[in-house]
Amino acid sequence: MIKTAQDMKSYKKQLKEALSDQFLRAALDNFYTAYRENRPAVYDGIDFEGIKKEIAAGKDGALPYLEDLYEEFKVHAETAGAKVHIAKNAQQANEIITAIAKENHVEKIVKAKSMTAEETFLNDHLEKEGFTVTETDLGEWIIQLRKEGPSHMVLPAIHLSRHQVGDLFADVTGKKQNSEDIDKLVKVARQELRPTYLAADMGITGANFAIAESGALGLVTNEGNMRLVTTMPRVHVALVGFDKLIPDLRTMLRILKVLPRNATGQAITSYVTWIKGAVECGASPSNRKVMHIVFLDNGRLALAKDPVFSPALRCIRCGACANVCPVYSKVGGHKYGHVYIGAIGLILTLFYHGIENDRVIVQNCINCQACREVCPVDIDLPHLIKKTYRAVLDQDGKTPAKNLILSRVMKNRRLFHFILRQGYLAQKPLAQKGSMIRHLPNFFEKRHGFRSLPVIAETPFRDQWKHLRKQVVRPKYTVALFAGCAVDFIYPEHARALLTLLERHRVQVEFPKDQTCCGLPALMAAEEETAQEVALQNIRAVQPENYDYILTLCASCASHLKHNNSKIFKKNSGWLGKLKEFSDKIIDFSSFMVKVLDVSSDEFKATHKKVAYHAPCHLCRGLQVTTEPRKLIQLAGYTYVRSKDEDVCCGFGGSYSIDFPEISAEILKKKLDNVEDTPAELLVTDCPGCVLQLRGGMDKRRGKIQVKHIAELLAETVF
Amino acid sequence: MKQRAETVQAIVSKITTMEQAFRYTVDLTQKQGGKTVAASGLTSDEVRFLKKACETFQLELLDFPLKLHAGGIHTSLTPVDWGIAETGTLVIDSSSEDVRIATMLAETHIVVLPASKIKPDSESLEAELNAVLMADTPSYYAFITGASRTADIERVLAIGVHGPQELHILIVKEDRE
Repeated sequence: MIKTAQDMKSYKKQLKEALSDQFLRAALDNFYTAYRENRPAVYDGIDFEGIKKEIAAGKDGALPYLEDLYEEFKVHAETAGAKVHIAKNAQQANEIITAIAKENHVEKIVKAKSMTAEETFLNDHLEKEGFTVTETDLGEWIIQLRKEGPSHMVLPAIHLSRHQVGDLFADVTGKKQNSEDIDKLVKVARQELRPTYLAADMGITGANFAIAESGALGLVTNEGNMRLVTTMPRVHVALVGFDKLIPDLRTMLRILKVLPRNATGQAITSYVTWIKGAVECGASPSNRKVMHIVFLDNGRLALAKDPVFSPALRCIRCGACANVCPVYSKVGGHKYGHVYIGAIGLILTLFYHGIENDRVIVQNCINCQACREVCPVDIDLPHLIKKTYRAVLDQDGKTPAKNLILSRVMKNRRLFHFILRQGYLAQKPLAQKGSMIRHLPNFFEKRHGFRSLPVIAETPFRDQWKHLRKQVVRPKYTVALFAGCAVDFIYPEHARALLTLLERHRVQVEFPKDQTCCGLPALMAAEEETAQEVALQNIRAVQPENYDYILTLCASCASHLKHNNSKIFKKNSGWLGKLKEFSDKIIDFSSFMVKVLDVSSDEFKATHKKVAYHAPCHLCRGLQVTTEPRKLIQLAGYTYVRSKDEDVCCGFGGSYSIDFPEISAEILKKKLDNVEDTPAELLVTDCPGCVLQLRGGMDKRRGKIQVKHIAELLAETVF
Repeated sequence: MKQRAETVQAIVSKITTMEQAFRYTVDLTQKQGGKTVAASGLTSDEVRFLKKACETFQLELLDFPLKLHAGGIHTSLTPVDWGIAETGTLVIDSSSEDVRIATMLAETHIVVLPASKIKPDSESLEAELNAVLMADTPSYYAFITGASRTADIERVLAIGVHGPQELHILIVKEDRE
């Protein structure tokens, strides 16, 4: 049975168990790496970005008309002999299917894999009604025998080892099994299940597509069990979510280009099957299949009309959002979803399985954007996860203390900066020497001690500015420096390095004094209203019209300011024009150096020190800046050495690393292991948040590799 | 077509006559120790020919409906409506239950695909496929690409789960006189 944590304390306990499961960790790690390595080859020659926009537009176009598509489908399917039903909710769907089974004197049922049937807990219902139900997809059969839920939407038994499966099959067959031989284990399923198909009275499937213009179902499978389930028994029931309705065959063929590629790395699955109406069936007295199609609403029709959440219905259940999620890769699907797994699961659970099952898990997103990038239907998953969390908070009518304080403080810049300055005094006794706090005081829990923490600067950058500002004669560019909290209060040296680099380029830098936090932490805590307030404060402070660019050394600030503000303000907000001007002028450090200033290697002395690079999530995915930083490392006279998984999150995620330190620590460990596997002497990145995480972790493990912001790296070799 | 089909573990050969397909079927069945053959979509002359070939080697050519032999089909030989070169896919109208049983329950599935029926990609089949689906009559249409497979245990690819364990494609090259 699925036991999704309902409170944070039991969730933390579950996470701890998952993190200490060595097999699970190894299996997920291998999967995580293999999936991402294989993916580019599978998409060779396919315009993924183009096709995903097309599919998304097609899906969005159909959502307002799902009920019309249903009517169209029904007419065609019933003309061909099927009977089409609507189920308002899970209970009704299960009852309709039970009634069909009873009416046809069914005893034995075989099932092909269906996430929709998992959603309604159909098996439990049918078994209570006295039917024998056998799952026939190998993975589903395994978890059915173990009485578990799936841990992945495509690979339901990915959490199990061959030995666990071998032991299970030994119990089932009463014969000892050679667990090393996976081929033989697979054949056990073949032999055991063959007679079951032949004896079954009814087959139940889901469907990937319901094509309105023809009334045909489309099913995408690999094992061949679904074909047997729809062929041998005399009754076939398909349980289909309303979101599977599409207008025509062309739409299906387009989605078919990406579904298998994204799901399993195949150009196409072994079987793609279209079924329309009551086909020939020798087991039926009429020689025609008794064919029923049940369309499940369960909140979908309301969701389709929701101005914020409707894109979640574009989902085609490829499972890729779990495959690329660094958190999923550490804890697995049983701890990262309820029935639906992965990023989309954190969203859909609220709508299909209620707030009690989503309240805790929805908080476990590190916002690395990997799922958004891989999603074949262009769902902005990280954004919708935060929106879902907001909906959870609103439904609960409670505001966590953390959110109350965060909103109160962030809206008031003077108070916020006062507190940061006090931080310097408070931490002084802890930082025995140097710039790191290695041992946290006892009132912090041990699990936070996976990294050393930086000390807050004695003099923040804003207080140094009056001594640093230089007037440039006939400047080529006038640039506002948006420091962000981390550079301003923790790493003012990053900004000073920037000023050194810009000296020879006739760039007039200004530091608008009233600038405050970019607002991302507020959005991460689902405090959208605070994020809006802060955005407006920054517009008033910076006055974008006065500058050619707004330059920032922080990838997270840059990505937030560039993309999020347009999402959090209402479409009719009077501020949209100013917000756009502001976001259009945002530029990250590396792009500014390479694309705007066009720096050359003549400006730097060559050292040939070996440098590894960490690509910040909000730079490589948030801003799609990938080549510039690597080019810059080489222009500055260093030797760039590639490390594994450069574009994988470092585990920081702002407050994520405080909320989920045990996961943050594991993601960081992997990152640093990968870097230490290279001959690099230095590790650079272009985000102060990543610097904090990576430097803290490297210090804690007493590693020899120095961690720097890329601006600092360049300042060391500039002539 | 050949290359793409082979990457998904199909075994592809070129032939010029149906007799070669029958000989291939009989040889393969015998080699694999099978005793039964099911065939669909053949003319009565072809059936007679295949039956004779089977008898020579003590193989049984199963009669219809195949449902009666559901537990015991070793080899099946079926025609194919289309091939799709881009993915090595076979397109089979499976509305007849015998075709479904032959393509699903056999241990080894052999198909005969005329070279002239190979299309470059699925889009170029859209009109033909849609014509079938848009008709008011029931239909069961299938794309088959390689043998049945799974990666459900430790993500290790295993061939032959529930469907045929081997897929053989015989591409018929027509005479170009």
